Amino acid sequence: MNIPFFKKKRAAAKLQTDAMNPRSIRALAILILLAQLPHVLHLPLWVSIMGCGVVALKLFEEKLPKLVKKLVLSSAGMTVVAILGAVLIKLHFGYMLGRDPCVALLFILVSAKFAEIRKTSDAVLLMCLACFLLLTQYFYSQSFLSALITLPAVFALGNALAVVRDPRDARPAQQNIQLVVKLLLQGAPLALFLFLLFPRLPGPLWSLPDDATAKTGLSDSMAPGTISSLSLSDAVAFRVDFQNGIPTPAQRYWRGPVLSDFDGRKWQKGERSVDVIPPESVGTTLDYTVTLQPNQQNWLFALDHPTTLPSSNTDDPNQQRVLGRLTGDHQLLSLNKVSSVMQYRQQSSLSSAYRPAFAPTDLMTQTAGVNVKTEAFANKLRKKHRSDTAYANAVLEWFNQEDFHYTLQPSLLGDTPVDEFLFGTKRGFCEHYASAFVVLLRAASIPARVVTGYLGGEMNGDYMIVRQSDAHAWTEAYINGRWQRYDPTAAVAPQRVEQGMAAALPDDEPVPRMARNNANWLKNFQLSMDKFNHQWQRMVVDFNNHSQTELWEKLGFPKPKLWHLTLLVLLISGVWCVFILGLPLRNSGQTKSGVEKLWDKYCAVLNQQGIQRLPDETAHQFVYRAAKQSGSKHDKILQLGLQLIRLRFEPLSKDKADHLNRTLTKQLRRIKYSF
Amino acid sequence: MTTQVHATPLTTLGDLDQVLTQLESVLLGKRWQIELAVACLLAQGHLLIEDVPGTGKTTLAQALGASLGLPWKRVQFTNDLLPADIVGVSIFNSQTQQFEFREGPVFTSVLLADEINRAPPKAQSALLEAMEERQVSADGQTRALPKDFFVIATQNPTDQLGAYPLPESQLDRFLVGLNLGYPAPEVERALLQSGDKREQIATMNAVANPRQLQQWIQAVQSIHVSDVVLDYIQALLTASRTDSAGLSPRAGLALVKLSRSIAFVKKRDHVLPEDVAAVFPALAGHRLTGQVLSGEQAAKAILAEVKQP
Repeated sequence: MNIPFFKKKRAAAKLQTDAMNPRSIRALAILILLAQLPHVLHLPLWVSIMGCGVVALKLFEEKLPKLVKKLVLSSAGMTVVAILGAVLIKLHFGYMLGRDPCVALLFILVSAKFAEIRKTSDAVLLMCLACFLLLTQYFYSQSFLSALITLPAVFALGNALAVVRDPRDARPAQQNIQLVVKLLLQGAPLALFLFLLFPRLPGPLWSLPDDATAKTGLSDSMAPGTISSLSLSDAVAFRVDFQNGIPTPAQRYWRGPVLSDFDGRKWQKGERSVDVIPPESVGTTLDYTVTLQPNQQNWLFALDHPTTLPSSNTDDPNQQRVLGRLTGDHQLLSLNKVSSVMQYRQQSSLSSAYRPAFAPTDLMTQTAGVNVKTEAFANKLRKKHRSDTAYANAVLEWFNQEDFHYTLQPSLLGDTPVDEFLFGTKRGFCEHYASAFVVLLRAASIPARVVTGYLGGEMNGDYMIVRQSDAHAWTEAYINGRWQRYDPTAAVAPQRVEQGMAAALPDDEPVPRMARNNANWLKNFQLSMDKFNHQWQRMVVDFNNHSQTELWEKLGFPKPKLWHLTLLVLLISGVWCVFILGLPLRNSGQTKSGVEKLWDKYCAVLNQQGIQRLPDETAHQFVYRAAKQSGSKHDKILQLGLQLIRLRFEPLSKDKADHLNRTLTKQLRRIKYSF
Repeated sequence: MTTQVHATPLTTLGDLDQVLTQLESVLLGKRWQIELAVACLLAQGHLLIEDVPGTGKTTLAQALGASLGLPWKRVQFTNDLLPADIVGVSIFNSQTQQFEFREGPVFTSVLLADEINRAPPKAQSALLEAMEERQVSADGQTRALPKDFFVIATQNPTDQLGAYPLPESQLDRFLVGLNLGYPAPEVERALLQSGDKREQIATMNAVANPRQLQQWIQAVQSIHVSDVVLDYIQALLTASRTDSAGLSPRAGLALVKLSRSIAFVKKRDHVLPEDVAAVFPALAGHRLTGQVLSGEQAAKAILAEVKQP
């Protein structure tokens, strides 16, 4: 039996069109690798190696032994890889439902899917997955740099789309790049427009589950060395935008965890105190917005003393939500763990004392009885000074007069740290002084406690940066029915308060670069970067419903209703698409010559009379039929039509053609008006 | 060079009309196929007729040769045909003690290659080489074929037994793929009444001569093709290329050439879109699907897709 062989060939060709060609594979590999790139920074190393390795394996498929290719790069092989990845991730993290393990799993699954890719339809799915993977990196950081690092992947996505869409047409790489650039530029105005106007939901639809990530910043306990180790970090704790005035350096006490339990060596948070209503504001009050970096804890920070509860950063009363609570010891706690960048509005009155809702308990005078020498010294000093205030001042005076040193590198302390510090080494950091001061006060039956937080902050343009290196510990004493702030460090090293840590420390101590006072170019550069990022956060990441309302007000319009806005968005997007898609359409169809336009007009005039050209009608047939149906105008229509056909198809000298063109244009106009 | 030719065409047209009329008298009711065959000849292309036996293929070839005053020969392709049977063979002449080349049937003007797809590929390609190059190589010598070498090949529908289908590259060398088809009932009645036309061909007079044929071929090349028509041709080519087997640029050139010839046959000095549309199925059909009949359907689908200007 003879089967025509071209039929077989056709069938083979048809199968091939759906199979992946090496160009598509390469384009997809670049896309996947670029989408994986931002994740390499924060995923465990083995996950990165496994994911990227699988992609590389597929990319160099041709060079592999056949058996490996068949076993590993198959659906079954990749299922094994995926299951293995899932098990290893579970073992590594210890849990599965959280940001880190889920992103790691996605990372590996996308690679596995790529390795077993067979058909073009798989490629489309893979591109969607790559986009998703790319988006998940915003769970980690939404800074400008992390937006920038996604750009190559976006470009690769365009390239992959172009290649997969038309695999047989092997355009040179340069043309492909031009195409992608063109497409991206065409999309950019639309993206900007949608960013500005697309209706936004007032709040997030979902939130990330908590991860067991390392906590950063201040903790809820303090032992010698806790804060000094923190002081070596340049990391930003939070940024502040002030609405009405900036506090002086001596007023920049950012209140954090309050510690009142002492076991002789370590300070801890006291018993859980009840929440209180913020006190009335007294004296100067400041309004400001804090942008807190994630610290995986509940701490919120406010200038001493907060007079409101933290609330969401919006002017719309309907959207206002309370984001935290105030404990009895005047510490702000957020309702949820701060696991992503958080913004809140806060008001504080700048005073160094406040009247609490209820008197302190006996616990506030416990000294644990370990530091015997210290207590003996306190009893001796107490006898000289009757009033609590005089006693506290005398202690500060003593700190100031004795040979105490402020240093980041204190000597190691043993089991009776306060005794050893006060009467032995006399070298310490803020936590040593705060701790010793509270013990001295408590030994004299004055209720006192340690307050940790940040002291300082650096203005960078119109906002303030507070860094981990500004971490500080100070004290509060309950005197005359008020909690009064005392900062013993200031008695030893007054520069710490006014000029920051670097000024207070001896020259040879290792101060983190950003905390140093002498500005160098690197610090300046980092400050400008920080400023840019903060603007990015304010203008782009936090662009919300409220910002849209403001934008409309600036444009001088009231904010339109949601459905008006939706219509507007659809309309403008539609117009833009037509504009963009219409342009190549116009350009690709060779521009019609004048004669053809004339013929089109002729047809249009007849169309208006209800005479339309049939699909299979030749130009002549159409002209004759049209003339027949035009009744009294038969001759004119016929002559004009035949002359037009002559002009279109017959070889005429240029002069003759031009002349005919002019005459026919006039005739056509006359006929048009005669109807 | 071409200025001389420019003056001739329309004055000699009357003779072409005579050729067409004479052909129609032996091939009843096939005016369009005759015009297409003549146009193919004038475009210096070769003609492929696909049909069941007995529909007048041989009659057309014979009549065409006779009317134009051209010598013609016929080769019946069989499955044991050798290239030498077509091209010719050298034989030893014992008198002159030398090898003499005995020319094969290919050395003629009109060659009727009957049932070309019955022969094995080797014999097929011997003919196809002659068609493309218009010359033949045998015994290390290249011999030119006559200027007006014209092949009319016939093939059986490929689903018949014992057929070696021509590969696409060779199908492409045939300018026109034609399907004669059964005659209409009243035509068939006339045919049955008048009897066999073979005798009539034997007594047929030539109404044109080879010199005139060359003039016509020259004249066809000066037929005007306007930009609008070229746009239309390009649109047809583009539309054919959405599928895996589209029309090649060579097919595009052939389409322009054939459209010119058919306009000449229709006594016009310019090509109209309807000329292009009329020849398109015959030109594109066998190139698109490898078969004339099914190809015509595909070509008509493309025609329906593209708006005629």
